[in-house]
Amino acid sequence: MRAPNEIDFWRGFALLTIFINHVPGIFYERFTSRNFMLGDSAEMFVFLAGCSLRFVVGSNERRASVHDVTFRLLGRAVEIYAAQILITMFALAILAAAGHFLGQPALLDWHNAGPVFQDPIETHIGLVLLTHQLGYFNILPLYVVLMCMAPLFALLDRFSPWLALGVSFAIWTFTLVTGLNLPTWPVEGTWFFNPLGWQFVFVCGFVLARKDGPGALVRRHRRWLRVAVTPIVILGVVSAWNGFSPSPGDVPEPKLVFLFDKTYDSPARVLQFLCVALFLSGLWARLPAWFEPISEYFSRLGRNSLEVFCVCSVLSLCGQIAAYMYGGGIAKDTLVLSIGIVVMGLSAWLTEWRARSRASSSQV
Amino acid sequence: MARKVAGLLFASLSFVALAAPLAWAQDSAAPKPDEPPALSAQCQAPASDIAAPAPLPNFAAALASKKKARILAIGSSSTYGVGATSRSRNYPTQLREILAKALQGVDVEIINRGISGEVAATTAERLRTEVALNRPDLVLWQLGTNDALSRIPAEQFDATVRSTVDWLKEDKIDVVLVGLQYTPKLARDKNYEEIRDTLFKIAADEGVLYIRRYDAMRFIAQARAAPVLAQDEFHLNDLGYRCMAEHVAQAVIANLFVRRFRPTSGFSP
Repeated sequence: MRAPNEIDFWRGFALLTIFINHVPGIFYERFTSRNFMLGDSAEMFVFLAGCSLRFVVGSNERRASVHDVTFRLLGRAVEIYAAQILITMFALAILAAAGHFLGQPALLDWHNAGPVFQDPIETHIGLVLLTHQLGYFNILPLYVVLMCMAPLFALLDRFSPWLALGVSFAIWTFTLVTGLNLPTWPVEGTWFFNPLGWQFVFVCGFVLARKDGPGALVRRHRRWLRVAVTPIVILGVVSAWNGFSPSPGDVPEPKLVFLFDKTYDSPARVLQFLCVALFLSGLWARLPAWFEPISEYFSRLGRNSLEVFCVCSVLSLCGQIAAYMYGGGIAKDTLVLSIGIVVMGLSAWLTEWRARSRASSSQV
Repeated sequence: MARKVAGLLFASLSFVALAAPLAWAQDSAAPKPDEPPALSAQCQAPASDIAAPAPLPNFAAALASKKKARILAIGSSSTYGVGATSRSRNYPTQLREILAKALQGVDVEIINRGISGEVAATTAERLRTEVALNRPDLVLWQLGTNDALSRIPAEQFDATVRSTVDWLKEDKIDVVLVGLQYTPKLARDKNYEEIRDTLFKIAADEGVLYIRRYDAMRFIAQARAAPVLAQDEFHLNDLGYRCMAEHVAQAVIANLFVRRFRPTSGFSP
């Protein structure tokens, strides 16, 4: 297994935050990043996925072939798609079991599951087409589309990282101006995480992780850039802390550009996230020695992010059922969080243990 | 106000400002139905059980000036229509038919954005996006049931709903809060009762129209012995959705031309 690194560490951190945020009403929700930032852990998770894409594409010196990159990325899209179907089925079974054994049909409705039980014929088609997504189980469909778009950005990046960034920015701007989004079906509506909006923060991660181009420019001027963006970070923190978010009537057209919108990942969210990321970059290397076990824990989660994300999603749903059954409160919420930390860590350890066993058996 | 200015300043840092304040047309020549549509025999309930009244000035002005109205129905399973035999039987679709008949000469469009099992905080987030994209004249927000079941603390629910109602009012969009589902299984649930009371209080404090769905459906289920619930005894059936649509239609039309806020202290939650 690779040694702990900055990307894995923050990805692990984002995973734990996602777990907490996916148990609504939990006491520890108030300490998560969304209380201090306009965005939340989703931006961090998608940005880091973009950074990781750099490892797939390879450096300038050791570039993978176009075929290789395309097949690996599309293969990853299939892998994520399979994970989405699996955790969706788990979630449906958990809700069905809870509704059935607790005698509470309302639980069958949770997270957009109602239509699955009400209109199974149409909704099952929607589940497979990803046009029907359960609430809190809607990040992986975004990833699937991002992975399908990734070969295009990888190809553009070969010509110039600026070109990849420019095309991504153009798609994002067009989406914000027109309100374009993928439709949901059979439930009327659109995707909660619009891939055409979220691809920009993904591509930002991809190009900034490159040794040259925009990434090099930012790293070279990191010190004074941090000074320059401090007011943006502070203003964002003050806005988030006070729960300020402009309403559609407060802002001019095109409104999605000016709102702090999550579905389209609007500029204010992305801008503040990138500024905060500028401050956080390099922090990992300077963490004190006593922090090492925590750093290792988060890095292990991050190294196995897909497996841990699946476990995290299912666990958070169990946490919600537990809250329904036993109510909330600091003691119960602490228990839920502790179980989450242990089980997520255990699932990451098991994934690595399996990989090690496979590697050693193939050597025999 | 200072916070608002600071936030807007922040938003403007990243984009070009093209300020164009919204102008809200007001016209007293709105089409006035003689009286609200009559309730069908099976959906009869005391007026005090149907709604806690409040005026809808912006919706009335939009009807008058544009001769068309766009309504955003947002919420959870009762908006989507879980329990109905088909989606054409859900309450927003039936409401559109009733309003089209009652408000002759007005083109009524209803956008359904119901997502089953959603808590108010998530709907509140979607609401901002939907308002930006669809610019409704009236928002029907059905909420509370899932927050009660998810054990969302009442004060957290209160903060979410109040802040959303506040910005809708500031944006001059009328909002109707459609209350919790009636179900005998949750009649004595403490959280359920707490969220119901909170919602009632928010509506009274904020002066927004509140549909007392729980009370109306309980009345029909108990007094008339008409089956308004589906087999699971939780979701509404076709008749239940019909009654829900009729109650919302009657409350909306009856309150269209209410100019002053009428005190609701005569009702209990």
